[in-house]
Amino acid sequence: MSRNARCPGSLDELWPLLEEGVTIMAGGTDLLVRRRGQVPAPVACLERIESLRGVRVHEGFISLGACETHASLLRHALVRERLPVLAGALQVLGSPLIRNMGTIGGNIVSASPAGDTLAPLYALDAQLELVSKWGARRVPLAGFIHGPGRTGLKPGEVLAAVLVPPPEPSALQHFEKVGRRKALAIAVVSLAAVILTDGEGVVLDARLALGSVGPTVARCPKAEALLAGRRLDREALLAVGEAMRSEIAPIDDLRASAAYRREVAGNLLLRLAS
Amino acid sequence: MKPSSPNQPDFSFRHADTLSKAVGAERYSTDFTPPGCLWAGAKRAGVPHARITAVHVGEALAVDGVKTVLTGADVPGSNLQGIVHKDQPVLAVDTVRHAGDAVALVLAESREALAEALSRIRLEYEPLPGVFEPELALAAEAPLVHPGREGGNLLARGLVDKGDARAAMRGCDVVVEGEFETPMQEHVFLEPPNGTARLTATNGLETVVSTQAPFRDRFEIAHALGLDPMRIRVRAPYLGGGFGGKDGATVQCLLALAALHAGGRWVKMVWSREETFLAGYKRHAARVRIRLGASSSGALQALDSVMYFDSGPYAHLGVEIMALGLEHAGGPYMIPHTRAEGFCVYTNNPVGGAFRGFGVVQASFALERSLDALAARLGMDPAELRLMNALRTGEANCAGVAMESPTGVRECLEAVMAHPVWAGRHTWKEAAPPFKRRGVGIAASCNAMGYGRGLPDAAAAKLELTRTGTFRIFNSVADMGQGNAAAFVQLAASALNQDSSLFEVVQPDTRLCPPAGSSSASRTTYTFGNALLRACEAMREKLKARAALALLVDEPSRLRLAPGVVADEATGRSIPLALLGNMLQRDDRICVDQYVMPVVENPPDTGKAFRLGFPHRFFSHGACVCALEADELTGQVELVECVTAVECGRVLSARGVEQQVHGAAAQGAGLVLMENLAHQDGRILAGDLSTYLIPTSRDLPDLEWLAVDGDEPTGPHGVKGMGEVGIHGPAPAVAQALEDAVGLSINRIPVDPMDVLRALRSNKA
Amino acid sequence: MSGKIVPTFTLAFTLNGGPVRVETSPGRRVLDLLREDLGLTAAKEGCGSGECGACAILVDGAAKLSCLMLAVQLEGREVVTAEGLGTAENPHPIQAAFVENGAVQCGYCTPGMTIATAEFLAHTPDPDRGQVREAISGNLCRCTGYVKIVDAVLAAAKAAPGESS
Repeated sequence: MSRNARCPGSLDELWPLLEEGVTIMAGGTDLLVRRRGQVPAPVACLERIESLRGVRVHEGFISLGACETHASLLRHALVRERLPVLAGALQVLGSPLIRNMGTIGGNIVSASPAGDTLAPLYALDAQLELVSKWGARRVPLAGFIHGPGRTGLKPGEVLAAVLVPPPEPSALQHFEKVGRRKALAIAVVSLAAVILTDGEGVVLDARLALGSVGPTVARCPKAEALLAGRRLDREALLAVGEAMRSEIAPIDDLRASAAYRREVAGNLLLRLAS
Repeated sequence: MKPSSPNQPDFSFRHADTLSKAVGAERYSTDFTPPGCLWAGAKRAGVPHARITAVHVGEALAVDGVKTVLTGADVPGSNLQGIVHKDQPVLAVDTVRHAGDAVALVLAESREALAEALSRIRLEYEPLPGVFEPELALAAEAPLVHPGREGGNLLARGLVDKGDARAAMRGCDVVVEGEFETPMQEHVFLEPPNGTARLTATNGLETVVSTQAPFRDRFEIAHALGLDPMRIRVRAPYLGGGFGGKDGATVQCLLALAALHAGGRWVKMVWSREETFLAGYKRHAARVRIRLGASSSGALQALDSVMYFDSGPYAHLGVEIMALGLEHAGGPYMIPHTRAEGFCVYTNNPVGGAFRGFGVVQASFALERSLDALAARLGMDPAELRLMNALRTGEANCAGVAMESPTGVRECLEAVMAHPVWAGRHTWKEAAPPFKRRGVGIAASCNAMGYGRGLPDAAAAKLELTRTGTFRIFNSVADMGQGNAAAFVQLAASALNQDSSLFEVVQPDTRLCPPAGSSSASRTTYTFGNALLRACEAMREKLKARAALALLVDEPSRLRLAPGVVADEATGRSIPLALLGNMLQRDDRICVDQYVMPVVENPPDTGKAFRLGFPHRFFSHGACVCALEADELTGQVELVECVTAVECGRVLSARGVEQQVHGAAAQGAGLVLMENLAHQDGRILAGDLSTYLIPTSRDLPDLEWLAVDGDEPTGPHGVKGMGEVGIHGPAPAVAQALEDAVGLSINRIPVDPMDVLRALRSNKA
Repeated sequence: MSGKIVPTFTLAFTLNGGPVRVETSPGRRVLDLLREDLGLTAAKEGCGSGECGACAILVDGAAKLSCLMLAVQLEGREVVTAEGLGTAENPHPIQAAFVENGAVQCGYCTPGMTIATAEFLAHTPDPDRGQVREAISGNLCRCTGYVKIVDAVLAAAKAAPGESS
């Protein structure tokens, strides 16, 4: 009988465990909460696999090891300086204790529409590196997540790294999370925006992503197109906000009504009004 | 704050228990896991109202490590729990009446086997229509929670009145009316309900429980299980929080039942957080309708209110809680004509029960919001309206009881009105940053102390001089974090003129300590403190008399207690306490005395429905100012300032009062800002700590406390109880501040950010 | 019914400065391992789901939720519980500051709070109130309203400049 929990030290040690059907644990802050009070099924913790760690610049991407914790990412200069929209989300994710345990890979594969890192990563056009004993493949994050808890991860595969094309240093990066309290909160709505303007303040490129307003994080292509060529003034942002409201499918739940989410989703960009 | 005379105890000491707690050495009930103990757990109904047709336990019994599975048929005795009204089964027999009812009890060798067995019990039901709304439950055709019960779903109706409110209302220049709702609230003590129990070799039952009422627990267990209460021993270590939520049956009877089937082994039961949400009792949800009338000058003339309390399927202390609600319908104000009618109603919702602020939270929110409406109608400042109507010493409250005890609501209001948060509010509001609206609100409150008439609010205190000359206090009133154990050391050390390091405290143990009432009702320090001071007085006289024997002094009255000794100043001789301790036989080293809180001497001819707990003689008072910022884009409300003034007699321990005010205000703030025990058709939807939110450190400001000195001549060194009064301010003060900030008038809590956005939109239009 | 033979292994790690070897199931919750197998009850269970922080321990210097960790994760790690910070006779400056500043009421959250504080002050020796509130935001307290806890953390920072656990 196999052990009910293991910490493989390398991918080579992980592959046979995946064939046995173990559940992958990359932090445990979601998995173990969901399995509370249940008879434990075997898990493999990824935390000792060095090749799933590290933050580096690689082939023009900022590569974030999937098993980096939220706290370690938040401390990293590349994340803080080049990806402030992600840092902003990490800063309000769960609590310091959760951030010391949870990982970016775990946040992605859990695929909650309220996963705090997801809206920034959508707005950053992040890609994912997936590895298996047969090789590696690279997919866009947006296509990888299919719905709550559902991803394109294949049997035998693990998420190895998140590859983020760094925005222009001059780009405006903005994140706001609306929760029912300020810590240990699940987002009711979140907005991630990466906006590039010219020297005159005219928007050249806008990437807008909303969390917790549909089964997956939503990019807002209509709103993005509407914002291009305009300045970040109140009038433009009101119009763009209205477009954003039309691009989402929020639901009612315990934390907020669909109407509230829709209203706030269109309001948040106004915070940038000059 | 320094003690004002040398005879006053010095409370600026280092608490022995807080140190042991801080280093993780203090053993709470939940830290007691005897090696080889069995684990007990309850199978909960999961449905709000149904007839039980079958309980299939076979598969559970077959799980390795399962010792036994018990059902309602296995319960000896009455199988009924309840503090005053016995109506709650230990294990349901034919019917489940709320989703948290226990239907079966499993004993297993491990937690894992217990969890497995609980998941394998299958319950078969015939669903019954439920009632989930108190007013609907009173309709003639409503399904009955307890069929055959006289009175149907009406657990109790009460009326508290004075003068002729309805006639006086017709003569008022201005009348406002409204309907207000306050929700169920979860205590969220951090230590979940838990305990251990075993049968002793002599067939006694020994338990260690996280409980606020160890002495009463014996009778509850004995009644429910048909045991002799005097053969039950309950120990209550320091609690990891209580707030009223451990003042009644949690694990006690289930645990005792398990112990009866454990063959003398220890049995441990710990509720998970989810089980605590499901099965623990809550602050009663209430609906209050008010008409409040005043003269054009703002003088209150008449109050007519009706309150509905949702008791869930069991009484717990619902009737007594409603009594307190009605008694506080008029708040700390002078209103000549008052009428408060209440209905406490059975439903199939979670069980209502004790919670800090016990009925007063509900009444207070409704009254304070009505005062806001009145101030608006009269064009008056809400603070001035409260101040001009503040009850003075000697005046009668809404129950017709004249306030003999010094009454400090006016001073509390004046203190918060002078505070910069109130005095400087106009400037502060104008400086609101972009996307923020600011508002400031004020409220006042009072809260009764003690049980009230109908049952003795009593405590007996035992004090022992040990053989080595130290002292042992037998604390009979559980310490759930309010620091009473440490306060008792200081009272005794001061009374006996000894260093506090000479004292140890035995935590409540029904075998060792004489009986006392529960740790509740803001009564602990007052009642047990008075009893202890009497025991100290007896000890002092005893020590002087015994020392006189050794010192050959024929006038013991000239002897004095000094640190470590009894001294004869006339001769300069003294005898060490260690010598006295060694000299006296054990019986002679012990002093026991008691105290019963005085009651209203000539109770008014009202509130006749309440045999117990009405009316009260002593009240603490408070006023609160809250300042908030509402976000224009999200409707989120941030509490920026919260200042509470409290009058609770003499302030002996500034730190102790401040700690209670902070904690109470934080719970009041949580109630108005975010705590939402969402439920539907008897099922709790927010049944864990990720959905039922309480404030984190980032959600509260630096809460402030202002001392208002008073004096209660009957209190130990002039103190009154004050553990509850601070909870009442934030909800109405935040509501008023929200109206100030965005023009939103709320009549239910918590605040919904959507309502804030709607108000902003309509006020712009 | 399936015979529940849970395989065990010998777990070796450092606990409060000393080596520990214990036979346990690799999937046992660290909180249960500490409290029930090793008798260290400072870490408390308040929710079992990471929402309260009462079970916090230091693992290689980082404050973590022992209710969401499995025994196997501790192999070779350095674990500190509140018992390892200090004792009643010789309390850690953080523990002393909690006592002296009135930050302890029921005390059930306190060991977890002090653990979170220990990691925080090691990284942030001279914090402001806002940073402290952020640092303890994963540790719920229902008694104090947090004011005196924030006071205590600031006092601990002053009392032991540069000191870390």
